[in-house]
Amino acid sequence: MSDELKELESILNVTLPENLVEETVKVEEGHFDLLVNTKNAYNLMKILHEEAGIYHLSTVSGFEKEDGFNICYHIQHRIEEEFREVPINFIITKVDKKNPKSPSMVDFFVAADYYEREIYDFYGVYFENHPFLQRIILPEKWPDDVKPMRKEYSWEQIKEITMKIAKESLEEK
Amino acid sequence: MTEYRSRFRTLTDGSDGPEDADHHIFIGPQHPWCEEPAHFIIHLKGERVVEADIRIGFNLRGIEKAMENRTWRQNTMLIPRACGICSAVHQNVYVRVVDRLAGVEDQISERARLIRMFSCEAERIHSHILWYGILAHDAGFDTLLHISWRDREIIMDIVEKLSGNRVNPALMLPGGVKRDIPKEKADWARPLLDELIKKVQYHRKVFVEEASITNRLKDVGVLTKDEAKKTTPNGPTARASGLPFDVRKSTPYELYDKIDWNLVCYPEGDVLATTLVRVDETLESLQMCKQILDQLESTQGELLVRVKQRIPEGTYMARAEAPRGEDVHYAIANGTDKPDRYKIRAPSLGNIDATLKRMDGEYIADMPVILRSYDPCFSCTNRVMLINENTGEKMILNQDEFARKAIKAKKYNRPFF
Repeated sequence: MSDELKELESILNVTLPENLVEETVKVEEGHFDLLVNTKNAYNLMKILHEEAGIYHLSTVSGFEKEDGFNICYHIQHRIEEEFREVPINFIITKVDKKNPKSPSMVDFFVAADYYEREIYDFYGVYFENHPFLQRIILPEKWPDDVKPMRKEYSWEQIKEITMKIAKESLEEK
Repeated sequence: MTEYRSRFRTLTDGSDGPEDADHHIFIGPQHPWCEEPAHFIIHLKGERVVEADIRIGFNLRGIEKAMENRTWRQNTMLIPRACGICSAVHQNVYVRVVDRLAGVEDQISERARLIRMFSCEAERIHSHILWYGILAHDAGFDTLLHISWRDREIIMDIVEKLSGNRVNPALMLPGGVKRDIPKEKADWARPLLDELIKKVQYHRKVFVEEASITNRLKDVGVLTKDEAKKTTPNGPTARASGLPFDVRKSTPYELYDKIDWNLVCYPEGDVLATTLVRVDETLESLQMCKQILDQLESTQGELLVRVKQRIPEGTYMARAEAPRGEDVHYAIANGTDKPDRYKIRAPSLGNIDATLKRMDGEYIADMPVILRSYDPCFSCTNRVMLINENTGEKMILNQDEFARKAIKAKKYNRPFF
């Protein structure tokens, strides 16, 4: 077991099964990255939420790497007596690019609902067991198959699509 | 209590509203009440709110994608535009992310850090005064709106004198700050800050003692601590519900751990508590500003450290306490001079859910103050035209034309139009 994982466990006061965690990185004092694959993500988050008592989700961010999409849940472990927070970046790695699927964390965090929908909007990642996986932020007329934050769409292409939508809505009136 | 689900789910026609609602009120995207575009849907039974919902996305500007197309240096000037009013704090998080990724974090002098902090605190003061002025207006107490906005000009003058701009100070750069706060300017600002402290103390007295506004805000839209834990609000909205977390205290950045200040937290959870949190924070920030000016006299140091254009590979997440709450930035650098991915989560998005939860079971007449309670800012939530202020003449330019005109205007020292 790595030292970083041990340190995180002592802060959270729980045992995190080693076979669930892929890697733990200590970014700086009291700030951790926790890497996990799509299979184990739900079970690990369950431990973090129910046993360690983490209830605050700051945001969910998605990013694209060569071997697949990554989804990062920025959660905060809060120690109320000391007014202290321990930020943890819970990163789900290697979400398949051709058929992107990842477990939804709505069961643990109410806020995951709309943050995950934002990822669905921008990257097209399908969240399993999400109760209402629909578009949230892109314009209504945005083409369904264009996921703007993916690397395959350049800035120029996005601009072109936006201008086309704007032109069409002007012509309607 | 039935299981709570998040909002952001309503269809445009309101046909999926709760069964016992008999009226549906649609507000926005364009409405005199909202200064900024959002679509609120309020489901009513009689005079009471059954459920409130919101649709967002009317102000999506694609800043995150735009940043991937620009260099780190260019992004320093793009990032304050993420929000209309809390621009300094966005820039602060950004420069801290770049400092860390470039590895110059330890070289930044205390003087540069103090100037950064001054900019952030001055911004918190003017943002909070602006907000409680508008809240008073929504509660039907326009006198306080006029008084507080009159007094807000003092801090705006200070920001303008020290940075050159009123709302977008843009003082920071990766590696330090752009300009110094010289002794003369600090001496000029000190009596003004003392004056403003007296004025804000008077505003506080009005909020606490004047029955016509206190009764309007007290016990309205209560968000209990348990509900707050569930709906995860941040910043003043959370601190008014008894969650004592402030990023400046919980994970100190810059020099906030070396300055003497108190965390403001109220357990009541009503709109009056969110107001008092902000008024008290304004007073705290004012005394912090004075401390910073005092410390600047004895602190010397290099203002700017050189940061290379190419940022080495790495990822970093940084947070800061914006006036509205916790501001999260997450960056991925890939070794080139452009970011691979830059994620911004501005505080308002995290607060909407909790605020809509406050509305359950309240009177429709309380809706304006409750919705105002989280300090809505939709350019944050979602992510050039020039107008001549004297003649009203409009001019639409592309980037090259704008640059050419700006260079000419600077060179020959003549107005833009």
